[in-house]
Order: sequence, then C-alpha cells, then structure tokens
Amino acid sequence: MDILRMRGISKAFDANQVLHNVDFTVAKGEIHALLGENGAGKSTLLNILAGVLPGDTGTITLDGVAYPHPSITQMEKAGVAFVHQELNVINDLTVSENIFFNHELTRGLGILRAQEMISQTRELLESLGVELGPTVKVAELKTSEKQLLEICKALHADAKLLILDEPTTALGNDEIAHLFSILRKLKEDGRALIFVSHKMPEIFEIADSYTVLRNGELISVGAIADVTPERIVRDMVGEQYADKDVYTVRELGEPILQLRGFSGVGFESVNLTVRRGEVVALTGLAGSGASEVMQTMFGALPIIAGQVFVHGDSVHGDIPRFMRRHVGMLPTNRKENSVVPDFSVLDNIMLAEHSLTGSHPVIHRKPELVRFGELKQTLSIRAQSPDDAITSLSGGNQQKVFLARWLNIDADILLLDNPTQGVDVGAKGDIYAQILDLAKAGKTIIINTLEIPEIRKVSDRCVVFYAGHVVAILDHDAINEHDVMLYSTNAAQVGEEEE
Amino acid sequence: MGEPKDVGFVPADIDAELVTDDVDAPEPKSSWRQTASSTWQFVKSSWTNHSYIFVFVVVVIVYAISTTMNGKKFNTGHISSILSSQNTVIVGTMAIGMALVIITGQIDLSIGSALVLTTGVTIVVFNVTNSIPLMILAALGAGAVCGAINGFLAAYVRIPPFIVTLGTMLIYRSITLWAVRAIPREVTGSGSSQFSMLSSNSSYQAMRMTFGTSKLTIGGFEFPYVTMLFLACLILFVFISKSTKYGKAVYAVGSNEKAARLSGVNTQWIKASVFIVTGLLVGVASIIQASKVGNITPASSGRSYEMYAIAAVVLGGIAMSGGRGNILGVLFGALSYATINFIIVSIPALSADIQDTFQGLVLILVIMVQTAGPAIRERFRGRAKAVDAT
Repeated sequence: MDILRMRGISKAFDANQVLHNVDFTVAKGEIHALLGENGAGKSTLLNILAGVLPGDTGTITLDGVAYPHPSITQMEKAGVAFVHQELNVINDLTVSENIFFNHELTRGLGILRAQEMISQTRELLESLGVELGPTVKVAELKTSEKQLLEICKALHADAKLLILDEPTTALGNDEIAHLFSILRKLKEDGRALIFVSHKMPEIFEIADSYTVLRNGELISVGAIADVTPERIVRDMVGEQYADKDVYTVRELGEPILQLRGFSGVGFESVNLTVRRGEVVALTGLAGSGASEVMQTMFGALPIIAGQVFVHGDSVHGDIPRFMRRHVGMLPTNRKENSVVPDFSVLDNIMLAEHSLTGSHPVIHRKPELVRFGELKQTLSIRAQSPDDAITSLSGGNQQKVFLARWLNIDADILLLDNPTQGVDVGAKGDIYAQILDLAKAGKTIIINTLEIPEIRKVSDRCVVFYAGHVVAILDHDAINEHDVMLYSTNAAQVGEEEE
Repeated sequence: MGEPKDVGFVPADIDAELVTDDVDAPEPKSSWRQTASSTWQFVKSSWTNHSYIFVFVVVVIVYAISTTMNGKKFNTGHISSILSSQNTVIVGTMAIGMALVIITGQIDLSIGSALVLTTGVTIVVFNVTNSIPLMILAALGAGAVCGAINGFLAAYVRIPPFIVTLGTMLIYRSITLWAVRAIPREVTGSGSSQFSMLSSNSSYQAMRMTFGTSKLTIGGFEFPYVTMLFLACLILFVFISKSTKYGKAVYAVGSNEKAARLSGVNTQWIKASVFIVTGLLVGVASIIQASKVGNITPASSGRSYEMYAIAAVVLGGIAMSGGRGNILGVLFGALSYATINFIIVSIPALSADIQDTFQGLVLILVIMVQTAGPAIRERFRGRAKAVDAT
C-alpha cells in the first residue's frame, strides 16, 4: 500500500522550470532512495512535500488524504518529518528538552513536568536501541548522535514518513552501520523513509526502491534488486551531451608541484605530481576531501603528514610562505572568503600583494593604477573605475578580480576551489576560457569542482576523491561524466563486489 | 593625500549618472542646472561620506547661538578653548587608537585606566630623572606595554576584547591606586593620592609652562602646543590609514577577516598591533596630561574616558561593526563632543549634573540620523532596482 502519492508535480522559479510533471510514490514500510545530480530537482520536490514551497501543479496524497495546499504545520501533523542535512538541534538544551521542544508537558502556569518528559524520552530511546542519556546536554553529543536525536524527535512527533537528506555525510562507517540498523527497525514498524544520498554502496545496502530525477524530469523508478549501480549512474547523468570542446592539447613543462604521502584534515596519503602549464581537476562529493587537499597545499589548513613540494622545495607553514612560492588560492564561497566588502576593486586586487610587500609600507597609487589597467585587460574585468565598490560587480566579474589578486603577485600555481559557484552560465564559460588561456601562458592550475562537464572542457587530468582517498586519476580522454560519477560515488567498488 | 582624491572622484561618478539619465532626455540639461545638480550631489555624497563635518558645524552653530543669547560675543577665543580642552586633546589622541581598534572590529575599554597608569609612570620618571627624553620614552613604553597585554590576550589567546579590556581596565587603575600610596612622596611629587610633576626640577619650566600650557599665536588666533601634538598624531594616522599597506590591512581585517587571512594578511598580528598603537597613543596622551595638567589622581582622573573616546569615534562616522570609517572623523568627533560640553556649560540655567544627559541625547540623535539616512535611501534604491529587474 502506498503512503505517499505525488502526481504531476511541476515547479518553476521565474522562467526556470525545475520540475516537469514529476510522479513520486512511496510505499508503506519501505526505504525509498531519491537520486539525481545537484540541480536535478530533488530538494525542490521534497520541499514541496514538506510544505516549504508551493507546487505550481500536481496533487499530493498522504495516507489516502489529499493535500491541495500543504503548509509546513499541516504536513507535520500529517506525519511528514524532514531531517535536514544541517542539523536543527539546540546545543544548549538536553536530549529530552530537545525532543519535547515546543511541545513541552506542563502543569498550569507553564511549569514543566520534567520527570515525565525524561521518562518518556528514555522509553523512546530504548525502543529504538539508541544509547543516549535523556539528561545529557546536546552539545556533548557526537554528530552521529545528534543525527539520531533528530530522528527520535521526528518519531516522537509520530512521523509516518521520514525524509533523510544525505544523513551519512558526516558519519564514520560504524556510525553509518548503527544508523542503518535503526532505519531497518523503523521500516519493520511500518514507517516509510525517503533516503537522499549520493553514495552508491549505501543505497544498495539500505534502500528497497528508487526514483531518479534528471533536470527536473522523472527518469526511472524501480526496485533496487532489479538494477545495477552503473545503470542508476547512467540514468542520473544521461547521455553525453555534445559539448563544444575548447580544450587543446598543450606542451607541458617540468614537474612544478608534488604531493607525497600528503595527509591533512579529511584526507590521507595523497600522491600527485603536476607539471607546469597543466590543468588538473580534483573532484569528489561534498566531504570527500578534495577541497581540504587544496586548502592544505595553500597553508590554510595544517599538514598532518607528508610533504608538498613547490618548484622542488618542501613548503610548510602559514599562507604567506606559500604565497611567496607563487601559489595562490581562489577559495570556495566567494562572499565569505574572498570579498572585502568595504574595499574598492583596486584595493581588493592589491590586498595579497600588500601583505607580501610590507617592507615597503607606503602605497603608491600611480603604479597600482597601471597594474590595474593591465590586469583589467588580461582578464577583461568589467569595472568602470578602479575605485568602484567590489560589491557593485557581478559574481563572475568579482571572481575575475580575485584571480587578478593572485596574478598580481605573479602566482604561477593557481588553486581554484569551486570557481564557478554562484556564477551564471555565460560567465562560467568565460571563466573556463580564461583558465585555459592562463594555462597556455604557463600557469599551472588545479581546480576543485563537482561539475563534471566543466572538468571535461578544461582539464588535462581529473583526480577523483572518495572518503578522503584518491580513487582514480583519469586522463583527459578518459574523463566522462559517467565514469567520474561512478568513481566519486564509489559505485565502481560495489560493482566489483557483486561480481 | 588620500582625502582630496576621494572627494575628487565623487563628481566623476555623478557625471556618469547624469550621462545615463540624459539618454532619455532629448535636450542636454542647461549648464546651470547641471552645476546646481552636481553641487547638490556633491553635498549629498559629502553628507554620506563625511557627515561628521556637518555634525561639527551644526554643534558649533548651536554653541555660537547659545553664547550670543547669553549676551556674550562668540569669538576665536571660544574656538581656541575648544581646541585646548581635555576632551579634545587627551580623549581625542586616545580616540585615534580607539578608532583603529574599532575598525578591526574590536573594542578597548581600558584606555582611561591605562592613561592613569601611564601618566603615573611618566610623572615618576620625570620627577626622578628630570629628563624630558626619558620621560617621553617612559610614557610611550608604559603605554605600549599596557596595549601589548590587551593585544596579546585578545588576538593570540583569543579572549573577546570586551572581556580582556574590561579586566585590564580594573587592573591598570587599581595598580596605580596601590602604587600612589606605596611610592614615597618625593617620587610621586605629592601626597598619597596624586602623582604630581615636581616644580623644583629644572625641566619643569620647559615641559609644563612652555609646552603644556602655552599657545602659539598665529594671526591673532591662539593655538595651544598640546593641540598641535594631537593634530600631528591625527595627520600621521590619517596618512597611515589611507596610504600604507598596514592601514589597508587594518580595514581589511575589520571588513572580512577570513578573506584577509586567505590573502596572506597576518590577521592576529594586525588585531594585536592596533592595541599596541592605542597604547602608544595613550602614552602621548599621558605626556599631554602631565604637561598640561601637571598631575593625575588615580582615583578619579580619566574615568569614563574610554566611553568619551568611543563617542568621539562614533560621532566621527566610524562604524562600530568595523571595516569602515575615516580617521579624520576622529578630529571632528572629538571636537563635536568637546563643544557639546561647552554648550551645556554656557547655559546658566542648566546644572552640570544634567550634562551627561545632553551628551547622551546628542550622541543617540546623531547616530539615529546617520543610520536612518542610509536605510531610507536604501529603501528607495531597492524599489528602483525591483522596477529595473521586471
């Protein structure tokens, strides 16, 4: 029997159609995997289900009752619980206070019946086999325990349908096993679960059935038992689009950057040699360690073991040491990590150079203006005046300003962490064209991105990370969306094990 | 030289705006209207970027009116007394440091107590050595040490600056209170409650009578020497903040610390250094205190000076959230604050007890105008943008 039936769901944001006529069905007592690449429409669909967003068309039926205009409270009452990727527990309260938050048991005048709430919490936790003390402060819990607490909270509200959005990203293997045993217990109780994950091994371990979305359309539905990981990955990425290839084969120089047994926060024993003029892409799902590798080879995170050689010399220490070796990093999340909002475009560019040349303390404006003119031309930055506020530029143009920040100190190794984040499609192409131009001019470029088609456009090699380890290094001709996805979800391994 | 440059760019921006406006207009606007409109735009943008000057002008006008209403003639003597008042020279000098601390997004509550401690050291060194260079060195050294303790704890031990400087505020004053009783009379130069410059020292005349209390008369206008020292510090730090890499780093740390760190700025050092700089300026202020007043009373002197300095910084248009503001504003902020005092004193009907009420009201009023102004403008701009987007 089906607990949830969503039929003909469509949703558009302005002109952007994110869901086209999608059907989604979940049966009672099953774990249903909802799959798709970033931007496939999964979160929009789930938000419509939870009453967070209104759908444009379509019907939602839960347990036989139709909800034409669902609201968050209505869906909560109906038994839908959404466990978000970022946890919503309150650290300064105890476990039992969190579970009863906003639904506290009271006698008159709002006085709490604390003992009763604690004993009820204990019963709930025991029934699930969760070993947590009801009076423990949540701040003292591990991430995995907080995750379980979120699930307990949902169950306390008597949820019939639990939505788990990538619940395993922050968990270790043992913790995942524990979580899964609890999920199985819930399933036996007859509750339904929607499980969103990118990790193929997990999906094949826990889920009973699946739905794949791609570009807002329903691609396939079925039982996990009838399908292979390769098949699901193919459904997720679709047939190869005929991309216009701007890539050209270039003569590469001498090895300029080497990682040997390189370990840091979130990754282990990475070995990699990069040559002058090469474009190397690092990729992997969130939490795979690719971004951390990049930050560690710029001194922004500590090196735990191993070495990084730049121009043959081992470099360690803080950021300025790497900058002096002509390494520059364009960090992810531009607004948080790159933009100095109160500075002009010129001052934003000059910031890195100023911090290296403090021994000449006085700023001379004329040579800086000349330099600005050159950089503006090289990178075709669209700014009217060097004194324009940085915040007046578009995302793509801001990103060029921050590239200029590094070109200005003659960085010849550029680390670009998710450089096209929040940049519109046109400007993306622009940035990638620029990356190739810089490579042709002898710059060495390492990009961390999740956007596989973009990797194919520019990179000579692609290094795929899974759970902190390099699982594959693919040459340009071997880079395709299907294989990269296969490696980064570790589906390749599942396939081998099944054979 | 940064200042004229800023102002210079404003009309250029306005020209650009006018050009876009003119796209729809069939006839170019007549030149007088253009001039009038760019003058208006210039005034408007000055109001936005340098509103502290307007605040000061308004305050002085009110002062002139209140003086005249009391049957006195407002003259340069009044201006001269504003320039030499305690709130201008001593609080103003320390407020320059406070401005830098606030620009990095921190706060220093200890400067009033640090002034007492540093002045104590300064006077003791003067009394013992009778040497002006050693006295100056002691003042700067003691100030720098006070600041370095704050900076180390705030930036490297990462205790919130509010807490660190609240603690040192208590410590610095109480050490001085203890010292003034423990140190023999011939060294403190006075009884058990005060540090006082020994008039028997041969350098007393030069330090106290010439530098501390005399004025230089330029074209009939009397200009106190101590004010010149304050202005010299101000000009130095206007230059440092606008035209040096260190100055830019201070602003960058306050504007976006993460971005500054990822661009190679040693953010911990910058955050610690502004406290040391503040300490050095407290040292300068204690030289002024010693030579202008001649003594300091640890129990009562310098009380609430940290609050007066914060008020001067805020009246000077520097954002409490950090990253924004002009050191030149401190001059006008300190002058405005000092003038408000004079206004209240000049009205005989008002008791001195009510003085703080007026100062508080003016402070709130000015900040209200400064914050409400941009918010209202932003609302209009937001509407215009929404229309553009559709």
